[in-house]
Amino acid sequence: MANTPSLSDGTALRDENVLRRVRQFGSARDGSREWQLQRKSALALIPLGLYFVASMLWLASSDQLTAAQWLSSPLPALLTILFVIALFAHAVVGLRSVLLDYVHTRSLLIAAALLVRAAAILLAGASVLAVLKLFLAR
Amino acid sequence: MERPLSPFMFPAWYRFQITSALSILHRLTGIALSVGSILLAWWLIAVAAGGQIFAATHAFIASPIGVVLLFLWSVAFFYHLCNGVRHLAWDAGYGFELRQAFLGSYAVLAAPGVLTVFAWLPVWLI
Repeated sequence: MANTPSLSDGTALRDENVLRRVRQFGSARDGSREWQLQRKSALALIPLGLYFVASMLWLASSDQLTAAQWLSSPLPALLTILFVIALFAHAVVGLRSVLLDYVHTRSLLIAAALLVRAAAILLAGASVLAVLKLFLAR
Repeated sequence: MERPLSPFMFPAWYRFQITSALSILHRLTGIALSVGSILLAWWLIAVAAGGQIFAATHAFIASPIGVVLLFLWSVAFFYHLCNGVRHLAWDAGYGFELRQAFLGSYAVLAAPGVLTVFAWLPVWLI
């Protein structure tokens, strides 16, 4: 990094180009936000995860009617939606940090990280929609 | 203009240590749980869709492969949960002494086993 051109002529605040160059070196001030998101979602997932996994083990062998009735009651519906959002947010940050460590081709890294994020948004959105459908239809 | 990247140090450069092995296990279980979350989302969608889709999903979950997957995911979940709590303790500044690190290591190996048995006992007994 010592032989890269100096960036002292402008700051990231005044010049977009500088910000873009700075970003390549690491976090352009959004690194700690991701770090915090991982910890906060982890905290949320302790009670939500325990609640959901316990419910799942109880429901795993149940028929559709039982499962639908459970998911359409207010508290399970709310906690399931919160669980799914926290879960996929946590998964995106975690998987991205794995990708950052092991995918060394920049284009591949960007593509893989985008794919993970898109898949997570799709799955989380579809899950929330499924619960809402059951809840609103009751 | 390359970011510094962490190389894969474990087998070639590092002597086996329980702490680093558990750290890798945290990642592996995290990846496994991320894959499992696809089935979880699919199950929610299947319950909402009902009919044939739920029947097929239910048949898969109730099949031997489905049950083994659920069991492995529950083990992964409890490990990731326990070790995650250890990570949060580290973030808060606790548990860095060597003795505590080893004690914590054995705890996160034992606790998921106990939690898994407790979670599955009702399923097995019924």
